[in-house]
Amino acid sequence: MSTIVIGLSMGMLLFLLAAGLTLIFGMLRVINFAHGSLYMLGAYLSFQMVNLTGSFWVGLAVAPMIAAIVGALMERIALRPVYDRDHVYQLLLTFGFILVLDEAVRIIWGLEYKQMYPPELFSGAIEMFGSSVPSYRLFIIGFGAAISAALFFMLDRSRYGMIIRAASGDPEMARTLGINVSLVRTGVFSFGAGLAALGGAAAGPLFPIELGMGFNIIIDSFIVVIIGGLGNIRGAVMAALLIGMTRALGYSYAPSWVDFLTFILLIGTLILRPEGLFSRKGRTA
Amino acid sequence: MNSQRLMALLVAIIISAPLLLPDGQGIGLVNAILIWSIFVIGFDLVFGVAGMLSFGHAAFFGVGAYTLSLLTMRMGWEFIPSLGAAGVVGGALALVFSYFAIRVSGLFFALLTLALSQLIYIMAGTKLRMLTGGVDGIAGVPRPDLFGIDFYDDGNYYFFLLALFILALLISGLIRISPLGQALKAIKSNEVRAEQIGFNVQRLRRSVFTISGVFAGVSGGLLASLIFYVGPQMLHWTTSGDVVIMVLLGGMGTLFGPILGVAIFEFMREWLSTQTSHWYGILGLIFIICTIGMPKGIAGLITQLWDRIMPGGKS
Repeated sequence: MSTIVIGLSMGMLLFLLAAGLTLIFGMLRVINFAHGSLYMLGAYLSFQMVNLTGSFWVGLAVAPMIAAIVGALMERIALRPVYDRDHVYQLLLTFGFILVLDEAVRIIWGLEYKQMYPPELFSGAIEMFGSSVPSYRLFIIGFGAAISAALFFMLDRSRYGMIIRAASGDPEMARTLGINVSLVRTGVFSFGAGLAALGGAAAGPLFPIELGMGFNIIIDSFIVVIIGGLGNIRGAVMAALLIGMTRALGYSYAPSWVDFLTFILLIGTLILRPEGLFSRKGRTA
Repeated sequence: MNSQRLMALLVAIIISAPLLLPDGQGIGLVNAILIWSIFVIGFDLVFGVAGMLSFGHAAFFGVGAYTLSLLTMRMGWEFIPSLGAAGVVGGALALVFSYFAIRVSGLFFALLTLALSQLIYIMAGTKLRMLTGGVDGIAGVPRPDLFGIDFYDDGNYYFFLLALFILALLISGLIRISPLGQALKAIKSNEVRAEQIGFNVQRLRRSVFTISGVFAGVSGGLLASLIFYVGPQMLHWTTSGDVVIMVLLGGMGTLFGPILGVAIFEFMREWLSTQTSHWYGILGLIFIICTIGMPKGIAGLITQLWDRIMPGGKS
């Protein structure tokens, strides 16, 4: 039982990153290498907030906002000038962001590991089906599910979602219809950055907060996004849960093969269905 | 004289610095530049000429380094055959990668090569610990033993590296002007058209990727022998990133540009790291500014300046 809980909670964290990655890709056609760094930034920021205010919830709320501002600046200052160039340049720019963000974190918070604790409310464990499960993991599952439900609602039903879908489907047409596409781009990038930081803030109490954490998770997020189908957010949910479960099962039954399992999933996907396991024709967002 | 030749002259000045400066100053730096240059000369065939952005070349580089170290230290091989083996193994791994990665192009290619190389990195640190020494790596990698020359002296090793560098430069220059190089340029500018003309796009890409793997493997073996050490850090994805930065900084797709990129990168590593411990972040900033402001790198800058000084002259 605890394996399933761990798998689902990992999956939810991965989904928070993958959702941002996939939204950004759908909108800007760029794969954000720096997404892991934003996740790490979120964890450090929320650590800082907890230290300042003593409240986990403040950290969880404020960290994504700051990261969203950072994301908006990144898009405005650096990415915007190169949209009309080959996509490779945008990828390279986001790679440059990694170096700068990592260095900034190193300067501000230093090299030592930081530790965070779950909030009072979820610090205990709960008995479920005869095994004890940390309640914070359950919180993450619920929280992730709520966020993803809200995300789907926003994309499918709200006016903002409609604008995003329109602008990513056909930017030129959207522009002629009076949508400020470049503002939408900034918004989506910033929103994706916020989601990544939200993931980082939520993951804070689960893992030690350190400089390498961004890169450890970004590879998994890439795998999720590819397996789910780039730009396909529904696929991302399924793929995130699939990878999360694979990892959790792997850790409990064959710990040294975990990485191989995820890579086999990735390679299998690319060979059998390069467009993603969960892709349906004609769906972008 | 045109801007190409100007760049060649700059490269020549940089690599002959130890001969020009008194007491062979800067010899360590130039040795490192020569080795990394062999790497980027091969990498640019893939990135600059064929237009494929690989984030996985650290794997071939590191595997080459391990091959040389293990063959010379555990198997008692001579240096030169081991170096050849390092190139072969680097190329073979690149060939294996290409069977997976060439199915996809553009951004997927970058991601897939990154993921595959990270798999190798993880393997070296865990599964193959018996062979690779895990995170500790292997210390005491030897240098060549030829003609009774003491290559443990950096000044002598310089000539050995210089010879290999010139060889690499020649091979790369020949590939660029060969039918293979022309075909790759055609693929880069329009893949569909190249395919329609009758080029076997997949096979050409696989070939050039494999060739660059050989360059990377040899370069990795040489670096291990220069610093007497090989560790999993050489396989880490940041090594792949460094190479991308070097090529872009210097000017992708030009023969000499990437070498200037290496020179600047290595000089910064040497100089900035004595000034500040945050040199990697500064490097990132410079990289971002260069990517936005001068996408053709130093090579583009030199060509531009040259055209301004010598208007009307064809470069």
